[in-house]
Amino acid sequence: MEDEKVMEVRALDAAIARPRLGWVDPDAALVAAAREEPQAFLALYDRYFERVLGYVRLRIRDEPTCEDIASTVFTTALAQLRRFRGDGTFAGWLFQIARNAVRDVQRRPAAAPLPEETISSEPDAEERLLAHERAAQLHTLIRTLPPEQQHLLSLRYGAGLAFDEIGAIFGATPGTVRVRMHRILEQLRRRYPDED
Amino acid sequence: MRTDELEHDLKTLAEPKAGDEQLRAAIRGLIGEQLQAPQSRRPTRLMFGAAAVASATVAAAILSLLGTTGSGGPSSADAAILAHVARTMSPPANLIVHVKETGTLSQGTSVAVEWWQETNAPYALRLIKGPMGQEVEGAADGTTSSQFDAATNTVYRHPDSSPPTLVDPIESVRAALNAGTAQIAGTATISGRLLYKVELPKGVVGYFDRTTYRPVYLDNPEGNGGVVRTQVVAYEELPLTPENERLLSITAQHPGASVETESARPPKQTSEPAKPK
Repeated sequence: MEDEKVMEVRALDAAIARPRLGWVDPDAALVAAAREEPQAFLALYDRYFERVLGYVRLRIRDEPTCEDIASTVFTTALAQLRRFRGDGTFAGWLFQIARNAVRDVQRRPAAAPLPEETISSEPDAEERLLAHERAAQLHTLIRTLPPEQQHLLSLRYGAGLAFDEIGAIFGATPGTVRVRMHRILEQLRRRYPDED
Repeated sequence: MRTDELEHDLKTLAEPKAGDEQLRAAIRGLIGEQLQAPQSRRPTRLMFGAAAVASATVAAAILSLLGTTGSGGPSSADAAILAHVARTMSPPANLIVHVKETGTLSQGTSVAVEWWQETNAPYALRLIKGPMGQEVEGAADGTTSSQFDAATNTVYRHPDSSPPTLVDPIESVRAALNAGTAQIAGTATISGRLLYKVELPKGVVGYFDRTTYRPVYLDNPEGNGGVVRTQVVAYEELPLTPENERLLSITAQHPGASVETESARPPKQTSEPAKPK
């Protein structure tokens, strides 16, 4: 009787196509749809565009490079989607592509720097310069972290993922992620000077 | 330097920029070109991966609402109807969406799901679902998940930091419409009511009101060759007033229930765990 009841509830789930109670990869349906009809990949793209771009921006300072990487991530993901086995979350797989793309760029010999923008005499120019310098300083500090920590930090503060979403990627509990994040922030905080 | 200041600076590094929408369009264009390539256009049927098996039922159901529309785009009139339907089913923020669907399974069991959910973070929700008279009720608000055990008049609550996303029962239909994978198939009369008929792959059909563009019926094929028709008896957007917010709260709906917190779990006979997600 109990089994019948559960089956009926499951049948209803299927019939009206709503997510099952309990954790599932929130992207599983879209991934399956994109495998069947590649146009559906656009829905995944829209879902992750900002997150991937944010992830990359936390790791890479140069904006045009960030844009190139974001483009690479999605075109690679579309091309490789059939290789995604579904034994982890789609987000984890996508951000691994992003991580690899960032790593590839960082391994390249540094290109000659573009000329710095001329600082104008606008009233907020000095403020913008200071913000620019602090951002550069923070980027440099992030790059001193071990790669795994850079990845974790970027998932949280670049992609804006919640602790449980990150936990799902790493197979860890949200609490474990929170503790690891706290340690990373402490490391950074000690080396990141106050604004004054 | 305080931790919150550091967190602020980190978020600043990643914050959106003015040209992001152009970039989004440009990359979308690249993906579009990639999709035009012959090898990408050929649909492939791959088995789900091992971890996706847990969600296979749901994925399969949603998949059935997201498939191809065949060659060629819709006519401008059809496109306009689909756009109206999609707009109607894309609620703005700061509302509560209320959806109720009922249906009868092939073995004659009447089933229903009723769902209330905020349309913005934390997307708090409450749902009631199951065979008539044996419904289960659950809720989540981004910090806790709750389930109500009618047998003992108890609310079981445990911490859950995973915020629900906007996943009302017809989110998959909404996604299909927004993805442009739905197709108008004329009109149909059901119970004397003339409705727009929207075809979706694998035999799934949606029927929409010709004036309000709201969903009225959904035909869902079963594995045994039958079709389950569910009726969308309610699809409404409610203002986020304190009174309506009570609809999202399981304790507000059962003020006399005792509340058990943390690791407490309801008795097994109340069916599967009710962590809405």
